[in-house]
Order: sequence, then C-alpha cells, then structure tokens
Amino acid sequence: MYEFDWSSILGALPILSHGMLVTLEITLTAIVIGILWGTLLALARLSDIRPLAWLAAGYVNLFRAVPLVMVILWFYLIVPALLKDVIGAAAGSDIRMVSALVAFALFESAYYAEIIRAGVQSVPKGQVNAAYALGMPYALTMRLVVLPQAFRNMLPLLLTQVIILFQDTSLVYVIGLADFFGAAYKVGDRDGRLVEMVLFAGAVYFVLCFGASLLVRQLRKRFAT
Amino acid sequence: MSMIEIDQVSKWYGAFQVLADCSTQVNKGEVVVVCGPSGSGKSTLIRCVNGLEGIQQGNIIVNGIALADLKTNLSKLRSRVGMVFQNFELFPHLSVTDNLTIGQIRMLGRSKEEAQARGLKMLDRVGLKAQAAKYPGALSGGQQQRVAIARALAMDPICMLFDEPTSALDPEMVKEVLDVMVELATEGMTMMCVTHEMGFARKVADRVIFMDHGRIVEDAAKSDFFGTPRSERVQLFLSKILQH
Repeated sequence: MYEFDWSSILGALPILSHGMLVTLEITLTAIVIGILWGTLLALARLSDIRPLAWLAAGYVNLFRAVPLVMVILWFYLIVPALLKDVIGAAAGSDIRMVSALVAFALFESAYYAEIIRAGVQSVPKGQVNAAYALGMPYALTMRLVVLPQAFRNMLPLLLTQVIILFQDTSLVYVIGLADFFGAAYKVGDRDGRLVEMVLFAGAVYFVLCFGASLLVRQLRKRFAT
Repeated sequence: MSMIEIDQVSKWYGAFQVLADCSTQVNKGEVVVVCGPSGSGKSTLIRCVNGLEGIQQGNIIVNGIALADLKTNLSKLRSRVGMVFQNFELFPHLSVTDNLTIGQIRMLGRSKEEAQARGLKMLDRVGLKAQAAKYPGALSGGQQQRVAIARALAMDPICMLFDEPTSALDPEMVKEVLDVMVELATEGMTMMCVTHEMGFARKVADRVIFMDHGRIVEDAAKSDFFGTPRSERVQLFLSKILQH
C-alpha cells in the first residue's frame, strides 16, 4: 500500500505560488489579447470585403484545426529566431515565457473570434439600421450598439472558454515553463513525492475551475430572464 | 420645394425586382402616406430614402443632396433624417435618456447637458417624461415607439420617415402612437409614412401613394385617392379595407 506524505506541499508553497502567477499571467494575457484580436477577426469575417473575410476565416480555421501543444512548440521554435532577427532582443530574455504568451494569445483569438462572431450575429439587424439611421458610421455602430449587446449575450460562453484556457495553460510543460502544474511536477520530482504533488495540483485546478463554472451557471440564469 | 425626390428608382435582390421605376416626391411640410399589400416594396422604398438600402438604378435626392453622389456624407445626412422602425429598435442596453442623447452627442456634437435637455423635452412631448431613467425593456410597445419617435425628434430632423410604426403594436397601443404622429403632422413636419392606418391617412395625409409589386400604382392627393381612385387595384384595395 502506497504511503501518502503531503509534507512537501507546505515547503513548496513559494514555488507553487510563483507557478500560479505564471499560469495567471498567461491566462490573462491570452484573454485580453484574445478578445481584442478575436473581435477584429470576427468583424473581418463578417465583413463585406471578401478578401478580408477570407483571410480571417483562414486564420480561424488554421488555429482551430491544430493541437494547442503543437502551436506552443512551434512558437517556442520560431519566436527566438524572430526576436533576434526583427527586434535584436537580448539573448538573455525569457524566450519561453514570451513565446508561450504569443502562442496562447494567437491561438485563443481564433476561438474567441468564433464566439464573438456568433454574438455579433445574435444582435438583430434592426439595431444596426437604427444606429445608421441616427447617422452613426460602421465603427461607432459596432462599438456603441452592437458589441455591448453581443458581449452581454455571449458572456457565459466567453467565461467557459476562459476556464478551458486556464486548464490548457498547463500544456506549457512541453517547453519546460514552470507554470502551476510545471512547478508542482518539479517539486514532486525533486522530493520523490510526484503522486501527492500531481494530486494536489489537480485538486487546485478542480476547485478553481469548478467554482468558476458554478459562477458561470449563476450568470447564465440571471441573463436568461 | 421638394424635400425628398425619388426619381426612376429600381432595385433588385438578385434576379427579383423589388422596386420598378418608382418616381415621386415629398414636398417640404407635406405628409405622404405610402400603402399597399405586404411585399409591395413600400418598406424597401422608404429604407432607400436614407440609404439603409442601396439602389441599382435611378436617383434619390434628400434636401437637395443626391445619395448616390460620392461626395455625399451619408452619415451626416442620416443624422438629420429621422427614422422610426416597425420594431422600435431602441437600444436595449441603454436607458431611455441615453437612447435619446447618444445620437445628439456623437453625431451632432452636442454637450451631454444640452443633449439631455433636448431629449427630455422631446420625451415630455410624447408624454413619457416620467420614464427617462428606465430601460426600454421595462416599457410597453407603444411607449417604446413613442420614445423612438422622441429619439428621432431630438436630432432636429429636416424630415421624418416612418416604416410601419404601428404594425408591431397591440391594437390598444396604436392610438397613442398615431396621436403623436398626427400632432407632428399638424405642426408642419415633413413626413413620409409607410402604414396601413387608413384613418391616419384620411386625417393628416396630403397625398397617398399606393404600391404593388414594386411599382407605384397610384400617387394622388388624399381626396382623389379615397374619392376617385384611378386604378382598379386601388379601388379593390379600398373596397376590401372599408368593408369591415
């Protein structure tokens, strides 16, 4: 019978909390850039300008058809070369973190774009006409009339995607980045307590994600009225 | 002097022709009612007047400005042409006050205070001053449509377009909206109204236009339209609606 020993968790808390910071940093960056870039992609995809719509559709389909792990790895292999060539960044900067941020932001944008596109389409066409009839040009109509209503409609879906994203950040283990899961794994490996640490990490993910999904359920109920 | 000039306008959706060689005009201070069966193109025609729908042939000139002219600032023109829709189209995420002021502030460059004062004045005019802080969802259909009229009026429009303003309303609420429209008409507002309300047409219209299959079948002074309509189609229409 396996003897559980949870004692190494306490001593590992500083490392684990630093890992959680990395996880949160990736998540938040991907949310912010993902929503901004995703909104532009969604509007481009709905645009009457055909080439623009095609480009956006190509982008979205590409990223949605490729496993996230591979995207993370690609950007890890590509970004350092880009940084050196384009910006001439110092070799010492944390390439792994930068490449992970870029990979997640660009990848999530594709998913957000689809959610936002559905949200924009859920706003009746008459609302656009009413804004136009007041004289508002396209950009103002989107910003003041369509997007506020669209985001309200799609808030539950967006938050669900955020929860998935939060879990997916653990995939940065492929490039050896110490996010929360990576940190737990390293500590477990070091102390010979891998089972306990991975169980503990899993419990933390579960509590956070399940709590968040309960919140989303509440929101959905409130917005359903 | 004509405020709206519609000159040989044709429009197609793919191969289907929705407007066929329509010509008419609305003079300053005139009230013109456009009626006809569903699918006759009357709503499409009025939407073309402020460029919400494009046309493939002909010309539309509003207040001396040709819509098709590339130099025309469509946004600026629209901001001075009031439009009221069948489904009200108030912005549900904004309070009544914000609905009234958003266009004034963004498109006419008015200050917030100025816009609120003007908006509340118009809200008072349609008898809904007490509803200023509410959201559109808390109002009845008739109230929403009156707010929508106030929103258009707050922009100090040079003319008003009504696209079936009472068609989506419960019968009991039709009157409160028509009352506001009648008042506007008697005050000399230039109005083009797509509506089935023949009582409204009899009361305040200067001219009545009848459309069928994308064509303007009859375009006559009110007394001629109801008294001695030329086309058989209009005679048939009138006999049907006046029977009950």
